Amino acid sequence: MTIATHTAERERVAFAAVELARNPGRPRALQVIAGAFAEWTEMRGDRLFGDDRAVVGGPARLDERWVMVIGQEKGTDAISRAVHNFGMPHPEGYRKAQRLMRTAEKFGMPVVCLVDTPAAHAGVAAEERGQAWAIAESLITMLELRVPVVSVVLSEGGSGGALALAVADRVLALENAVYTVAPPETCAAILYRDAGQRGRAAAALRPGVGTAHQIGLVDELIPEPMPGAHAHTAVTIGALRGAVVRHLNELCEVDVQTLVHARIARYRAAGD
Amino acid sequence: MDRYPNPVMRRRDAAHPLAAPGPKLRPVAPAGTVECRGCGRRFGEARFAKHLRVCPDCGRHAVVPAMTRIAQLSDAGSLDVVRMQLTDRDPLGFDDGVPYPSRVAEARQRTRLDETFVVARAAMDSVPVVLACMDFGFLGGSLGSAAGEQFARACDLAVTEQRGLVAVCTSGGARMQEGIASLAQMARCSAGVVAVARAALPYISVLADPCFGGVTASFAVQADAILAEPHARIGFAGGRVIEQATYDRLPEGFQTSEFLLAHGMVDAVVERSLLRDTVSRLLVAFWRHP
Repeated sequence: MTIATHTAERERVAFAAVELARNPGRPRALQVIAGAFAEWTEMRGDRLFGDDRAVVGGPARLDERWVMVIGQEKGTDAISRAVHNFGMPHPEGYRKAQRLMRTAEKFGMPVVCLVDTPAAHAGVAAEERGQAWAIAESLITMLELRVPVVSVVLSEGGSGGALALAVADRVLALENAVYTVAPPETCAAILYRDAGQRGRAAAALRPGVGTAHQIGLVDELIPEPMPGAHAHTAVTIGALRGAVVRHLNELCEVDVQTLVHARIARYRAAGD
Repeated sequence: MDRYPNPVMRRRDAAHPLAAPGPKLRPVAPAGTVECRGCGRRFGEARFAKHLRVCPDCGRHAVVPAMTRIAQLSDAGSLDVVRMQLTDRDPLGFDDGVPYPSRVAEARQRTRLDETFVVARAAMDSVPVVLACMDFGFLGGSLGSAAGEQFARACDLAVTEQRGLVAVCTSGGARMQEGIASLAQMARCSAGVVAVARAALPYISVLADPCFGGVTASFAVQADAILAEPHARIGFAGGRVIEQATYDRLPEGFQTSEFLLAHGMVDAVVERSLLRDTVSRLLVAFWRHP
């Protein structure tokens, strides 16, 4: 095999991993909420501007324990994908998440975040209402939250848009998910000035959650049944539920002061 | 001495019959002079520096290297640049023709900086501060692990020595070459800001042209007061990305400081000549009241 075809093959394989993570059959946040949680009541709106359907959330019961579950929802068909803006939140989505987190904190409920977004929405309206400001505020809110926080990367965790729901005591991820600094298309546009070179960017950036696991940004990979979560959603949601419950059981034993201290210390050393 | 030397033209005379058709190149400013990118007027380096790198004619604020910036902001004689031993990381073994460590080494040699940030102890109107200034010339001011470490240590320094924190932010965003590790830096810098906030020390952020991506979406806007330089381009996603992704028409003055001021995102748009006084006044106002 020549070097050129070898490179092309490598890029094809790397991008196939991204496409697997984008498989429309993978479990979405609302499916996870329906499958793993009970008595969910959706709470909508950020109380400031509007309601962003890319972020859904509300209190629910998880194995006898009431938690606040907040997720990024991509949608499952053409219409719901449009309604949920393909899981790309506007600032309202992040502000709604912050509001729900503060409510959870008030009542001592642990927070469970389901991360599934290619990136925060890039648009005129999002910029006008302070996309960067909303994300930055979410980072601070999550760092200081005085209740246990567990985040799970379901399929795609892209850019600060994902990190804004993934600053937690424990970050879990489904094993075929990707977690990247930006979607491969954006990386290619920035690095090579050509969004078409997404395969090359995917090969260079190693977007799989394994990379995030290596540097300690993800604590545990939740195994998926072969050939992937899209083929066995119920089994995957069961495994996810088990892992979240196990981590919450551990975290709820720890005193809140220690928990917040450890969380801040953890992110102070992030990326080392 | 010729005060107005002829510009060196890069392009062959257009009237020449053999002149190759090509892009029209602007004449290169002769050594020792600076050309304003707004109005095209030329000034001597010294005069430009005296005006804090603001065009005396059109008022355009040129990019300021971090070393110049700390000197502009601090009281005379108060500067103490903090050199840091940084660990270089190349978690992805990134190579786009030039290996990533060589790019960093080249940037280091060219800018004579350790990394994107210059961190310094200083006094501003006698208020003790830690200055953390970004240099856009260092790989586009991008935020990688070493830069994140610099900012986090600047925050620690502010806390241990009870100083205010002043950050001048100018960056293209997260450093793509480090992949996910650079995303983690947003959380790391935020943890630094939290430490400063918990010590009840004031943190003032100055947004300079350009400031985008993961820098804007983290420490740049987590300050107690956010100031912006006139006409600076500031945002999360770049205008070109937005146009391509959504086909939205960008409004007039989109993502400029003035636009953000009108939308309630920054506290003030401050001319560079007033920046030092404005920052120090805010620091004094926020300094713990007994």
